[in-house]
Amino acid sequence: MDNKVKVIPCSGIGKVYGLIARESALKTVIELCPEKSETVCLAYIVSGDEEVRKKMENSRCITVDGCPKMCASKNVAIAGGVVVEEFKVLDTVKAHKGKNFGMPTYLEADGEVVVDEISEKIARIINEIN
Amino acid sequence: MNELKVGVLSCSGEECLGGTISRLATRKVLEELKFVKTVTLCLPLYLAGGEEERNFAKVFPTISVDGCDKLCAKRSTEKYSGKISGSIDVSKIIGTENALNSRIIRNKDLKPEHYEMVDKVAGEIVKEISHLSPDSYSGKSFGGCGCGGE
Repeated sequence: MDNKVKVIPCSGIGKVYGLIARESALKTVIELCPEKSETVCLAYIVSGDEEVRKKMENSRCITVDGCPKMCASKNVAIAGGVVVEEFKVLDTVKAHKGKNFGMPTYLEADGEVVVDEISEKIARIINEIN
Repeated sequence: MNELKVGVLSCSGEECLGGTISRLATRKVLEELKFVKTVTLCLPLYLAGGEEERNFAKVFPTISVDGCDKLCAKRSTEKYSGKISGSIDVSKIIGTENALNSRIIRNKDLKPEHYEMVDKVAGEIVKEISHLSPDSYSGKSFGGCGCGGE
């Protein structure tokens, strides 16, 4: 059985915070915890297909959202995933007020710093629970 | 006076390069296209948002941009919102092997060849928009969301 923790970002397309969420999740699953974590396309989860519902059902998930609408967290829950931790990018960027994080399509160095911070927090949780 | 607008909606899939290309190409069209105003929506807002978000494809003639042949953006839009006016399957433009590449997904790993793919897909989106009848463009406004934007 697939026991990997699923890390699901919102990948919001309108602001840099969506890109920060996306890059944080991808850094975690590709670089920091490839053996213990994976991602699933949020758009696939939204589709509600039987195959992805089975994949998500009762699986442990960490979500990363770029805005207060919490799309990743809500959609994972709707699909039957268990959200063990939900990250809000805005909580982390609060500590970096006045910095230029980049744009929805690219990150400046300060944006990369936030990605590093969030992905390290996600990795810590994954290593604790898996 | 209301401006006429077209919706462009990307899957932004996280599992493969096709999703990254779909997201970047959609943003490129939103930022650079001049002959018609474009708007977008974060796809997961169909379920996480409200009625306004679910009305997106009813308000705007909408082009879906999908990274692979699962066509999640197209199918979800037709399931939750309304009929699609045009669709792009990125895997048909850049090839299935490229689209399903699960090693190169992060922006920082993209090479010039990947940005050429973005340009090519953006060109196809523009072609798809140009096939729409100008009569179908929406003059309505849309509040958008916290993360998606116009």
